[in-house]
Amino acid sequence: MMTMTIEPVSAFSSLDVLVAMDEGLFAAEGLDLWMAAREARDIRSTTEGTLTSPVTNQGRLQERGDATMFQG
Amino acid sequence: MIVCAALVVPPDSDVYVPQELAGRMVGLDYGNGTAYAGLQMLEGAVRRDEVTTCAAVIHPGERYAAMMRGAFEATVLQEPWITVAEKAGCRLVSTTFFHGTWVATRDVSPDAYAALLRAITRAVHRINADKRRYVSYFKRDWAGHPEVDALSVDDFNLGRIQVKEPGPIPESEARWAWEWMASWGLIAGAFDVTAQIDRSLERDAHELAAAVRAG
Repeated sequence: MMTMTIEPVSAFSSLDVLVAMDEGLFAAEGLDLWMAAREARDIRSTTEGTLTSPVTNQGRLQERGDATMFQG
Repeated sequence: MIVCAALVVPPDSDVYVPQELAGRMVGLDYGNGTAYAGLQMLEGAVRRDEVTTCAAVIHPGERYAAMMRGAFEATVLQEPWITVAEKAGCRLVSTTFFHGTWVATRDVSPDAYAALLRAITRAVHRINADKRRYVSYFKRDWAGHPEVDALSVDDFNLGRIQVKEPGPIPESEARWAWEWMASWGLIAGAFDVTAQIDRSLERDAHELAAAVRAG
């Protein structure tokens, strides 16, 4: 079984991923897919950023090696 | 997955068309796809120097609440908060759709990526066969929020829920997105497809996924 860890996703942008997880479709393809959880240190408010210098939480888990994919 | 984003104004707003948002403060969750979709909707309606935005929280429910209490005159929302806003009498003055794009490290193997693609493709088929069945996912994400808990399946516009089989990123779209972001000062430098997309991994994974599906 292959393994993969992704950053957390929501239905508005990843309904297909959530359905595939819940209905065992990743496992059926031989993929053990995990969704990493963000810790408090991973979360900064977008209000700290500006339009040209935004603050985003996307990619933080990937940056520190806790996930290999995220949705940008 | 195709993401729907909507520019929303409160029920008592005098804004009915996006052109009327010229010079009006729009709260955006800077750094996220919805914010960029909001910018693109504004840019499609008013001169760039008339686009007026401020930083808003990433939590769409809190962003919606901030708009309702007058912190800004409009904001951009995604589901299920678009439906929440509509149900509360807010108006959608513009809607748009954009691709949710995956970013992967070089550690992802073509085999694993292909398995991911196959599973997502099967999920897409299931969702498109019966969208009503899967609307509950939009509520599940925000369980405990009374406005969301109060939504029924019939409140949702299923046309805003769009999924499609994953495919390679067309270079023209990637280039357009890069150049658009650069034009706003969000990124610098010229677009280089080889630096942004590992076409070898992408091709191998999609070919492998297609071959297994065909077999």
